[in-house]
Parts: sequence; structure tokens; C-alpha cells
Amino acid sequence: MATLVEAPVKHAPPSPPETAAQAPPPGMSEDWLAVCIGLFVFVLSLGLLFGKDILGWAVTTSVWTVPAKALAPASKNYSGLSPFVSLLGTFVFLLVILSIGAKALRADLKRFAAGFTVVFALSYLCWFIGSWAYVAATPDKRQALKIGWSLNLTNESGFIIALLAGLVVGNFLPGVSRFLKEATRPELYIKTAIVILGGFLGIAALEQRALATSVMFRGACAIVEAYLIYWPIVYFVSRRYFGFSREWAAPLASGISICGVSAAIATGSAIKARPIVPIMVSSLVVIFAVVELIFLPFLAQHFLYGQPMVAGAWMGLAVKTDGAAVASGAITDSLIRAKALAVTGIAYQSGWIMGVSTTVKVFIDIFIGVWAFILAWVWSAKIEHRQGEKVRAVQIWQRFPKFILGYVATFFIVLALGAALPALVPKIKASMAQANVFRALFFVMTFFAIGILSNFRKLWQEGIAKLAAVYVLCLFGYIIWIGLFISWLFFHGVLPPVVKG
Amino acid sequence: MTEPRLSEEIRKMESEYEPLLPVERKLIWYTFGVGVVLLVLLVMVSRAFA
Repeated sequence: MATLVEAPVKHAPPSPPETAAQAPPPGMSEDWLAVCIGLFVFVLSLGLLFGKDILGWAVTTSVWTVPAKALAPASKNYSGLSPFVSLLGTFVFLLVILSIGAKALRADLKRFAAGFTVVFALSYLCWFIGSWAYVAATPDKRQALKIGWSLNLTNESGFIIALLAGLVVGNFLPGVSRFLKEATRPELYIKTAIVILGGFLGIAALEQRALATSVMFRGACAIVEAYLIYWPIVYFVSRRYFGFSREWAAPLASGISICGVSAAIATGSAIKARPIVPIMVSSLVVIFAVVELIFLPFLAQHFLYGQPMVAGAWMGLAVKTDGAAVASGAITDSLIRAKALAVTGIAYQSGWIMGVSTTVKVFIDIFIGVWAFILAWVWSAKIEHRQGEKVRAVQIWQRFPKFILGYVATFFIVLALGAALPALVPKIKASMAQANVFRALFFVMTFFAIGILSNFRKLWQEGIAKLAAVYVLCLFGYIIWIGLFISWLFFHGVLPPVVKG
Repeated sequence: MTEPRLSEEIRKMESEYEPLLPVERKLIWYTFGVGVVLLVLLVMVSRAFA
């Protein structure tokens, strides 16, 4: 779990200069690294605005019946490029920028490069398999692809396949799992993807400003539920009915109700729990996020294809961890659009359902620092009565998930550029489509990495059953259903734009 | 120092139960109450401006 779980903020006094000189300086955080990598890809993609097709060689994968025709460069400017060279170039590009990132994180560079090569190769293979027409094709595409049937799962099914492949590695191949450990960084991958996603959603917002504003407002409302309604119930249940101590109940409540790993860590740190507590809670959060990720999008597809935005918000509220929530939003986006098209004949624009999931999750994330600050104050002043201890407001900034700054930056840059220079909108769209190629790759690697880290057997051996019982009761007993109810309250009747023509 | 196992932690919690303090009860019910009130208000606001 160490790669998924960031080290809790230490409260120890700073080291004296001579000790600090001996210890290696701390590396960059994954949050800031995600901002740097995401913005780097984003800026390169904007080269199209200046007539420079910098990322057009990146590989895209179409729904295929003939494997040889599946891969192609993203831009027509590179149509002469062999698909294999395009794939190799994409891999080398990611390997180089992520290796620089790994160095900034003070990771073992050789182990990272070796591990990343395997993570990329297996993730891409899963994406490729998920794009097979019999798995991915939607009903409207079957005739063009000359196939009589398909599972109608869209090529996002590659995410599920990557998750299952990661689960096999994590649970049955411990040697491979250890070999990949340095490159098994789902938080880094998903945060980078979210930074890139900001630009993609900026385009959507540019075209539908009123709807985007409405989605943002309703997303902001969702935080009320996560913090003020979920948290006290989970805390009460775990304390009153399961007999957990305060040290365990608070991070558990935050992990289950707010935003999984980061909230559990921030809360553990705020109440000064021992490091083992948020780490165990985080492990549990990841496991259950996987379970939710596998089932909830299909449940949403079955029951909510008439209310796509409700489904998107539900994923953001019910699925814990950024990676799983945004990823489940992506799968739900594809599944619901496919079903709506098949059943009602309505073709919704892509990205809006995922956009709602992301918006809800981002708003929830923003307030983790504030919540940790409040809990730190309550624990310090009211529960443990720590004499002479001051809870400083700077802790809010310390706990703030910095990758959100990257997301906000790409979102507003695209929005501002498009609003100021409407003639550039088609080029901005093309730029974001190129950046989106990398977003999809980071997504699929996130799924694979989440699978690797979900070691069910190890958690069972640790005696996780009682902790899991609270989780099952709270998550499946009411969090998912209250989340659905509140998503419906705020988003029912709000529909994504329809594809024209 | 070896890290404690979760199973040992659970056993310890069962033998040394920490009762809910009044301040914890306040935290739980105030938070929940504010949450429900805000939820109603926000639903009304979102309906009004939809």
C-alpha cells in the first residue's frame, strides 16, 4: 500500500541542520508532480493553436475487428507514420516524462522504468482487448463494423479488463507485484489524468455555459452530503455499534464517507492517530472502491440511462478514491450513452456524465483540508484537551489536494481562450482531443495499478473483517443509497446535450 | 519497532471500550443537523435558479 498511501504529515519538530544534511531531502509530492505532467501535456497539445502539431503522433485505438487496423496516430498530419512507431513513441514519451517525475519523487529510477514498461504494456494490451468490436461496439456501429452482435460495453471496457488483470497480478503473482511496485502509482496516474481532463471539460463548458454553471453549483452542494451527513453517521455506527476507538473511528468515517485514501490520511494526521490506522483504512477503501467500480456503473446503466447526470453525480458521491470515482464516471458515461442510444435513440454528447462525477469529486476533495482542520481543533481542544497546542490555519493549505489547481487551471485556460477568441474553438477542440489520448492512457494505467494494490488475501490475513463489516454496512447500507437520492434531488431532469446531426 | 496487527488492535479495542463522550455526541448530531438543514436549503436554491 505504500505507493498508494502518502506519508502522513509529521508533527515532529524540524530536524537540526546537521541531521537534515545527512538525510536525503524530501521529494516532490505526487500531487505537484501530477500538476507538472498534466500541464506539460496540456501545453504541448496547445501547439495546434500556433500551427505546431506537437502531439499528433500519439497513438489512438479504435474499435476494431482486424487488429492491424486498430492503432493509428491521433492526427492526420502523421497519417504516414506506422501505428507501431506511434505506439512506441507514445510509450517512450510517457516513460521519459514519468521517469523525470520518478526522479523528482526520489523513487528508484531503474526499478520505476522497468516497472513502468510492464505497467504500460499490460495496461495498453487491456485497452486494446477492450476495443475489440465484439466487446466494445455500440448498436449504431455494428453495421459499419459488419458484426451481428456485441456486448455494447464501449472501448472503456478496457478499464475493467485492466482492473481485473491488476487484481490477478496483485493477488496471485506477488513476485510480479513487487517488481512493479515502484511504478504502481494509481494516485499519480489519476491525478495527472484529472489535470488533463480539466481542459477537455473546459471545452464542454464553453459550448454549454449555462449547463456547466448549473453542474458546478449542484456539484458544490454535494459536499454537504459527504461531510455533514455521511461522516457523523459512519462515526456514530463505528463507535456505538462496533466499539471502535476514536483513533480508528474518525479516519474510518472519513475514508468511507468523504474521499477515501486522502481523507483517511488527513483525518488520521489531524487527530494524531498512529500511521497504521489510516494505512489500514486506506487499504480497505481501495478494496471496496474496486468492488464499487465493477458493479455501480452497470447498475447505473440499467436503472439510470434516462437520468444520465444523476448517474454521474452518484458515481462521484458513492465511489471512494479519486481514481475509482472518476474512472467509474468514465465507464458510466460510455455505458449510459450506449444504452440511451440503443433504447431511446438519443445520442448524448460524451464527457458530460464523467464531468459531473469529476466535478462532485473535486468539490469534495477541496474541503478535505478544512474538515481535517475542524477535526484537529475538536480533538485538540475538546476531546483530548491538549494543553498549549494551537491548530494553525496553514494546515488547510497543507492538506489541500494540489492537483486540483492543475485541473482548475486547464479548465479555465480553455474556457477563457475559447470565450476571448471564438475563432480558435475548433483548434482548441482538436488540441484537447490530442491531450485526451494521454488522459485515456493514464486512466487505463490507474485501473491496472488499483488492481495490483488490491490484495484481498493480505487484508484478510491482517484481520480486516470487523473493519470491513463497518464498511459494508455503511457503504452498501446507506451511503450508496443516500448518494443516489441526493444525486437525484440535485440532478434529475438535467440532461447532457444531444449530438447534432 | 514492529507495527501492530489489526487483529491485535481489534482485541484491544474490545477489552478497552471508549464510551462516547458528550462532546462526540454533540459533534455527531450538530454536524448531521447542519447537514440536513443545508441540504434542504441548497435543494430549494438549486430549484429556484434551475
